Amino acid sequence: MADKLFLSLVTPKKEMVVDAEVDQVNIPGFDGDMGILANHAPLLTLLRPGRFSYQKGDEEIELVVSEGYAEVTENRVTILAESAEFAHEIDHDRAEAARAAAEKLLEKADLEGEAFKEAQDKLFRALARLETRKSD
Amino acid sequence: MPNLRDVKQRIKSTKNTEQMTKAMKLVSASKLRKAQEAIQTVRPYGHKMREVMNHLVARCNKDLHPLLDNRTGNRVLLVVITADRGLCGGFNTNIVKMAQELIEENKDSDISLFIAGKKGLDFFQNRPYPIEDKYLGWTKDFAYLKAVEIGEMLAQLFVDDKTDRIYMVYNEFKSIIQQEVIREQLLPIVPEESGEDMMDYIFEPDEETILEDLLKRYMTTQIYRAFLESSASEHGARMTAMDAASRNAKEMIGKLTLFYNRTRQAYITKELIEIVNGAEALKG
Repeated sequence: MADKLFLSLVTPKKEMVVDAEVDQVNIPGFDGDMGILANHAPLLTLLRPGRFSYQKGDEEIELVVSEGYAEVTENRVTILAESAEFAHEIDHDRAEAARAAAEKLLEKADLEGEAFKEAQDKLFRALARLETRKSD
Repeated sequence: MPNLRDVKQRIKSTKNTEQMTKAMKLVSASKLRKAQEAIQTVRPYGHKMREVMNHLVARCNKDLHPLLDNRTGNRVLLVVITADRGLCGGFNTNIVKMAQELIEENKDSDISLFIAGKKGLDFFQNRPYPIEDKYLGWTKDFAYLKAVEIGEMLAQLFVDDKTDRIYMVYNEFKSIIQQEVIREQLLPIVPEESGEDMMDYIFEPDEETILEDLLKRYMTTQIYRAFLESSASEHGARMTAMDAASRNAKEMIGKLTLFYNRTRQAYITKELIEIVNGAEALKG
């Protein structure tokens, strides 16, 4: 039995962000975070914006991803994310500003449906960035 | 004997043309670099998305989503992606040709068109096919949001049962000097046959939600990619065309200059002979 996973993480904005053989992948899944090890059952999940990490030997590499999908098939993990940044790339001030802006937007009580969801998503993305940056 | 001033005039105007084609080539080259980068980034994403999509569609119930409905109607919508401007070799002609071929193949169907780019409209506006919608001036800057909009519009047409099949015709960027005209079925989505075994998936949150979300993003990505491919191809085609034009102009200038010099020499010789003859006559 194989004990490695092949991980590819792609986004439409950057060329192939990660393309590597790894030991474990931690995904911010729709219903909660999950750790994927080798020989995992086939899985397809929506991603929520959050901390994403993978382990390669003793090294743990952290990223933040936004909405997208994660697919696991026969020891291949494919992550399709709208955007992804390595933890060290995150601009703390910008994330903080984005959070403030999103919170301000949400304070307005008259937001409805789509607009509300959009503002909420913005907030989630900003929070995910901040969280990943902090634990770095 | 030819008039020297006319030849000089021609050399000058050819030089002007050369300058223009050279400038256009440079502009295209710099635009190409950006467009090439953009398409190379989006390609792996589009490719992986297609893979995931295939896996999912092959497994799920086709009744789950209207976009998977492979009905047997004969209304065909062609999405034809051309450029807004010419002077780019066979770029637009090839697209139009392929679109016509496709129309010919579907002779018995009701054809309608979605035209992107002015050059495509120039050709098709006087043909007997209804133009569902058009999108001009896109080559200046193409935004992701526009792809979302087009995707939603096309999906709506399909869901509302206004068309049964949607094809895209566009240029794919192979290299700077090479483009390939591609036609692709956009809707309904039919999974590619693959030999792998059909293991059941765990879905989170559930099949339907994922499908809904994925289909939407899939449409957008495919459309976005097609437009970026076309844009990179266009700049590549224009650069090559302008390069060839500059070279031709240079050659022409060379030939004209040679001709000019020869003619000038002939005039001088002729004048000399006249003078010598005159002197001889006076002597006598």
